[in-house]
Amino acid sequence: MIMELIAVVLIISACLAIYLDEAIYSVVSLAFVFAMIIILYALSGASHAAIFQIAIGTGTLVALFLTGEMFSEAPKRKKQSKKILGVAALALLISLPSILLSIEVTPVVSASNVSFAEALWALRSADVVLQGLVIVAVAIGIAIILYEKTRRVED
Amino acid sequence: MDYLILSATLIAIGIYGLLTKRHLLKVLISLELVAVAATMNFVLLSSPFNPLGESLLILAFSTDTCITAIILALMFTCSKKYRTCDLNEIAKFEQQETCIRDGGKEENTEAN
Repeated sequence: MIMELIAVVLIISACLAIYLDEAIYSVVSLAFVFAMIIILYALSGASHAAIFQIAIGTGTLVALFLTGEMFSEAPKRKKQSKKILGVAALALLISLPSILLSIEVTPVVSASNVSFAEALWALRSADVVLQGLVIVAVAIGIAIILYEKTRRVED
Repeated sequence: MDYLILSATLIAIGIYGLLTKRHLLKVLISLELVAVAATMNFVLLSSPFNPLGESLLILAFSTDTCITAIILALMFTCSKKYRTCDLNEIAKFEQQETCIRDGGKEENTEAN
């Protein structure tokens, strides 16, 4: 029952994150989405995934809060509560198929004696190193873009 | 409860946001939703006795982080250059700049 409740809250927060006009409120809704995902992972027994999601989600939300504060315009004083309730009801309706319906999937239930650390470092060590390189390349690229921009502004 | 349908619903919401919203922050939030829905499958559909799904999740996380960083950098650059984050207005400014540049080139060739 609790998983179904989490799924409903997840869908409603995702809809509100897209629908709400003000950036800060959208980011708060996205925070709810991340929180629900973390609880879902933790309840499914995927503790490592939950911890990684906490780390990644916190960083993303901090960056989004800052940019949301920077780019949000003056709030418009419109009464939106009825529309928001409508979107929430629609989201509730959308979330029903995931609770009521089911798709037949045969998962690979092969119990392996490999631990998480072994799976990460022994089976996927090349992947992990290459991912590190990709992240470094992206960071350098972004630094170059921002540096070029500030240099052009100074000129 | 079916996680595949939950994931598909989240992806649909994200794609709807990508198609309808014009603000760069909303585009980023939509992309986050799509990424969350995609990564969810790695964990929830893998067997709890096999940690390979969780280890594959890190690949998705690093990709997700790179996308977020790139869009934030683009947002910062656009807001500094055009003073707006609206994609339609940015496209209009780009068109105007192109017209001015092309007009200047034509004037130069006529003068020569």
